[in-house]
Amino acid sequence: MSTRMDTIWSKLDRKSTAIAEFTMRQYRTRISTWVIMIASVVALLLMLLFYIEAMNTEIQAIDNDGDSFDSDGDGYPDGQERLLGTNPESAEDFPIGVEPDPPEKWINEDDINWDNLKDGENYVGEDDDGDCLEYFDTSSQKDTNDNNIDCDIVITVDSLNETIYFDADSGVDEDPDEDKYGKEASHRAFVLGIGKFGIVYLLGIFLPLFLATGLIREEMSEGTIHYMLAKPIARGEVLLYRILGYIGITWPFILGICLLLCLVTGFSGPGDDFFRWSDIGVWMSIAWATMLVSLVYGVIFCSCGIIWKNGVILALIFAAWELGMVFVTIFTGGTSSIRYMSVIGWGMIIVDAGVTISWPDNWQLIQVGLWGGGQGEENWLGQIDYAALPGAEPLAAFTGSPNLGVSNWLSFVISTVVLLFQGIMAWFIGQSIFKGKEVD
Amino acid sequence: MMPDLTQHGTAETQEWKPAQNTPVIMFDRVSKTYGRINALNSISLGISGGVTGILGMNGAGKSTLFKLMMGKVKPSSGAIRLFGADPWKNPAPYSRVGFVPEHEKMYDWMTAFDFIVTFARLHGMTREEAGKEATRVLSFVSLADVMHKKIGQFSKGMRQRVKIAHALVNDPELIILDEPLQGCDPLARTTIMNVIKELGAMGRTILVSSHILQEIERITEQIVILHRGRVLALGNSHAIREMLDQHPHKIALECEEPRKLAESMIGIDEVTGFSFEQPGKLLIETQHLGEVHKLLPRIITESGTKVTGIDNPDDDLQSILMYLTGGSI
Repeated sequence: MSTRMDTIWSKLDRKSTAIAEFTMRQYRTRISTWVIMIASVVALLLMLLFYIEAMNTEIQAIDNDGDSFDSDGDGYPDGQERLLGTNPESAEDFPIGVEPDPPEKWINEDDINWDNLKDGENYVGEDDDGDCLEYFDTSSQKDTNDNNIDCDIVITVDSLNETIYFDADSGVDEDPDEDKYGKEASHRAFVLGIGKFGIVYLLGIFLPLFLATGLIREEMSEGTIHYMLAKPIARGEVLLYRILGYIGITWPFILGICLLLCLVTGFSGPGDDFFRWSDIGVWMSIAWATMLVSLVYGVIFCSCGIIWKNGVILALIFAAWELGMVFVTIFTGGTSSIRYMSVIGWGMIIVDAGVTISWPDNWQLIQVGLWGGGQGEENWLGQIDYAALPGAEPLAAFTGSPNLGVSNWLSFVISTVVLLFQGIMAWFIGQSIFKGKEVD
Repeated sequence: MMPDLTQHGTAETQEWKPAQNTPVIMFDRVSKTYGRINALNSISLGISGGVTGILGMNGAGKSTLFKLMMGKVKPSSGAIRLFGADPWKNPAPYSRVGFVPEHEKMYDWMTAFDFIVTFARLHGMTREEAGKEATRVLSFVSLADVMHKKIGQFSKGMRQRVKIAHALVNDPELIILDEPLQGCDPLARTTIMNVIKELGAMGRTILVSSHILQEIERITEQIVILHRGRVLALGNSHAIREMLDQHPHKIALECEEPRKLAESMIGIDEVTGFSFEQPGKLLIETQHLGEVHKLLPRIITESGTKVTGIDNPDDDLQSILMYLTGGSI
């Protein structure tokens, strides 16, 4: 029995490698292969240029609390006068024997300097500029959040629902460093934006559109399929091994692209380390999602080509549906269930799970950025619309949650299994269409 | 013994178990329609052994016949058995078949050797076995010296030989060649015909299609004539010739004095009429082509006329079909 199994396996192996190898060599001779690959690289490099420029441009610092302004015109910024106890509104009252500070010193002077918030109440905050501790006199002024600690912030964290409630004493951490936050948030937003939309969707759908739709169709229309179909090999096998060859070309390419982007953004991105190690997990999940998504699309598009000589039209209709699903998935942040009816929705779950695993602080970073120091205007409901820090909103838009109700690792595994299942189903349908297809 | 037509093909890659005592190919009242076009009309045919020529004009159904044998298309009705199995459902019998498609398109970017190795591996050969076989079949079709050149650089005749070599790589019992001589120059034709004859001599069952009678006659005596999707005639080429001889034939003689030559033929029973359509040309009508051909040398010598050419203008497929169908082709 075992020798018989060996024989079957070795025969399968010979056939599969023969067709897969042949397919890969054939790709190299086709101009469309080079066009799509070069175009993808050029497009991504252009996006990278924007990224590198953004990372090297200083984000405009904003004086959120307005204390760099010299209201009374005595040369001393308001913040300095408040700290030293003189009246910022009176030109006659100014600190004596002290040199006036340059106004820039009072622009980002009270940064947010806390992270790793735990579930429940956290008491954090440091009044770097002294406009709470020194300027206010009474305890009721210094402890507006009533937690019996002067000049601090009460942060209530609910990591299950990914919500944070801020209750800050006035004048604490109210003037954060826009550049520092903005760089970090923009970097992450770029990685997710280019990763989810540019790589998982666009690369994931364009590679198969160009490379898989004609896998069988071109052979049929050129008549060369007759060589393959005159051999003792089932049509389902031909389809499978052709797809294997397609993977042999596209998967290394996807890995290469992701590695390139990971290296460039990892070295040039913000951070204290010389390389952003925590990004590796995100890029790996982007690469894995793209590989699986392009596999499923590849089988579907190849089958479209078998059904009809203009199968690319069917493929484009499907791609349009998937594009809709991209928007649904990205911009609802993973709360829509209609995404389960797509391929890309499951791909995005892989990325979102990877992000949550690799950047566990990501959702907090977003929430902090959206709070932005607590400055804002009251809206018509009487609530304060906080002025978000730069980069917080894009990051929030591109970040999603797996939302499968299980752990992140399990979400990762489940969506992988679902995508593989979709691929197998597509192959099954494709091969039964191929079997029933008359080849002229 | 007739094959059991109720049997069904088994799983695709299952090991091949030969069906005993069945014809290599069996067609049982097979019809194939494409939309409203009847490509094949109730064909019944059994072929085992030898070289068989499938003769028919373009659109007669030759390629459809082969596509049905190779499971490329599904019969509209009737049953086909290739080594006892249904080729539409089961690709296993292809391990015993070599197929040379009529399509001209090949993988021009491959070398002849790589092309054959790749497709040999689909028979389950290892790379080494396939390489050995490829060298063998390429030598057989006399392409050993150019086998590492790209197919794109080959002439039409060489490409045809590569196609034939690729079909021989599994040492098949049945070889099907769809119009192997089409578009080849005379030298290539001769080479390919010799290859086919040699394969026939090796005891293979060979099916070769053509629309040119003389080509087929040079390869084999066993002929099937297809016309408008039906088998019009079937059998030995001599028998077909004899059948043709029952019909009025024309012989064209190019000579200096056609009238003088004609005079010398008066009184010969086999010759039924003359005509002088062009100067220097005499057309003889006869019911007995063979007899007249036997008499001609003596008549020409006796008349003393110089004859520069003898031709049978209607000795082609079209005329045969004309006779066989009673003038409605």
